Amino acid sequence: MISARAASAVLAAWYWLVVAFLFAPLVVVVLFSLNDAEVSILPIRALSGRWYAMLMKDQTVLHALGNSLIVAVAAVVVSVLLGAPLAIGAHRHGGKVGRALVGFALAPMMIPALILGVSLLTLLNALNAQLSLVSVTLGHTLICLPYVVLVLDARLAGYDPRLDEAALDLGAGPLMLLWTITLPLLAPAITAAALLAFTLSFDDVVVAFFLTGRENTLPMTIWAMLRYGITPELNALAALTILVSALTALLAEMTLRNARSISAHPNLKETSS
Amino acid sequence: MRSFDNALVVPAIFWLIVFLGAPLGLVAVYSFWHTANYAIVPGFNWANYAHAMHDVYLWTGLRTVLIALQTTAIALLVGYPVAYYLARSVKRFRLALLMLVIAPLWTSYLVRTFAWMLILGRNGLVNAALMSAGLAAAPIEWLLYSKFAVTLALVHIYLPFMVLPIYAVLEKLDGRLIEAAGDLGASPWRIFLTIVLPLSMPGVVTGAIFVLVPAVGAFVTPELLGGPDANMIGNVIADQFGGTFEYPFGSALALLVIALVAVLVAVALRRGRLSFA
Repeated sequence: MISARAASAVLAAWYWLVVAFLFAPLVVVVLFSLNDAEVSILPIRALSGRWYAMLMKDQTVLHALGNSLIVAVAAVVVSVLLGAPLAIGAHRHGGKVGRALVGFALAPMMIPALILGVSLLTLLNALNAQLSLVSVTLGHTLICLPYVVLVLDARLAGYDPRLDEAALDLGAGPLMLLWTITLPLLAPAITAAALLAFTLSFDDVVVAFFLTGRENTLPMTIWAMLRYGITPELNALAALTILVSALTALLAEMTLRNARSISAHPNLKETSS
Repeated sequence: MRSFDNALVVPAIFWLIVFLGAPLGLVAVYSFWHTANYAIVPGFNWANYAHAMHDVYLWTGLRTVLIALQTTAIALLVGYPVAYYLARSVKRFRLALLMLVIAPLWTSYLVRTFAWMLILGRNGLVNAALMSAGLAAAPIEWLLYSKFAVTLALVHIYLPFMVLPIYAVLEKLDGRLIEAAGDLGASPWRIFLTIVLPLSMPGVVTGAIFVLVPAVGAFVTPELLGGPDANMIGNVIADQFGGTFEYPFGSALALLVIALVAVLVAVALRRGRLSFA
């Protein structure tokens, strides 16, 4: 029989092996992006930042970056403006109807992104609508909205309903309640949800693949560059997108961590739990 | 107050009906239409579905299901011990260690996919290592552009989706159950099989669904890492809407994939309840 300590050591070793597996491809990309050589094979010749310098002068890449930022910000704004009220309304409604509303908003998660893309393309095509950054943004709201609702719904689970009752008793109207109590308490979760939605939009290539018109987003540019093989410049671009996503996600995580409790007053929290 | 709360949910529901419901409805209608001279012609017949039953599509569908199931099974075997370690074994820095597993999720899956080309390619890291160690005389060709490469990359991309729900369930598991079983003389292995594993099934099922759904609909990964023998249904669908402009046939295939996903999810749900933790 194996001892508990031995089992724990085996599990720890397995954990670190899996983490290495998860990070290895990312490390490889970053490593080759810093390699001075023209081809991405071993050995690493010398470290150099020249591929990054090259990127900064690449007008196609910079333009695509601009497009990606426009699309991501627009998709985030729309998703939050739709998702936050839905999460709040569904939570206040409660019961089966409330759950069903949240479930409906999560539905796009259960449909492969590919199908979200082609079906929206079909609709736009039937309406003779031009594909543009607007159509990409529309597609991205379908990816982002469920995550916004998921994050806010989880946060609302700890929301003390007596805060609402108190505000209403004291004469606040529904708008005032929303604006002065509910939204400020949800603010960290909304920020986190917005940041996570940003990375989803910023990284998407599947939905964009079908809905892109003449203007390319950054992942679509990477996709196009891949046809000519993996160049060091591409590795540098990939490394930068990893950095952007990682920083955004980290920021989201920190925002949520710093706002652990949702109750207004410590005494309230004690009696409610 | 009630009417105000109702008004809060209306915009999002409306949005989803217009941009998710209507498109899917249109796809359902198109799947019974056909094309003539690059125009989509209304009608009602099952021809697209009959066409989808041809050998080449059936094989692609079967391959897709096999790759997706294999991906899910491997992710479960690899991910379960990780979730167990994080939930039951780690004492300090648990959240930081969990973050380490989840972090890759927030990096571009396009990048996570093409990175494997650098590793598995003819002149990639694995072949270079094998050859310099004298373990291979020539580069191993099947590493890239193969089912192996597609499965490996899909496991890599979706593994965190498996770990997260299992972790959430295991973390809430009452430790006294394990203690009691131990006190009564059950071996660690028996405790795992009769207590821990059954109680963690909701997490396993949720994780399996989170991996299975995107794997069935995979398109980028097989496009970049799969060869001719690793084509998946997602690639076939993409072709109908991209190059060949066969919307009705592509619509039928898309609906079949949705049906397939629904069946797989239903089967998984019969095995246990879903848990969003």
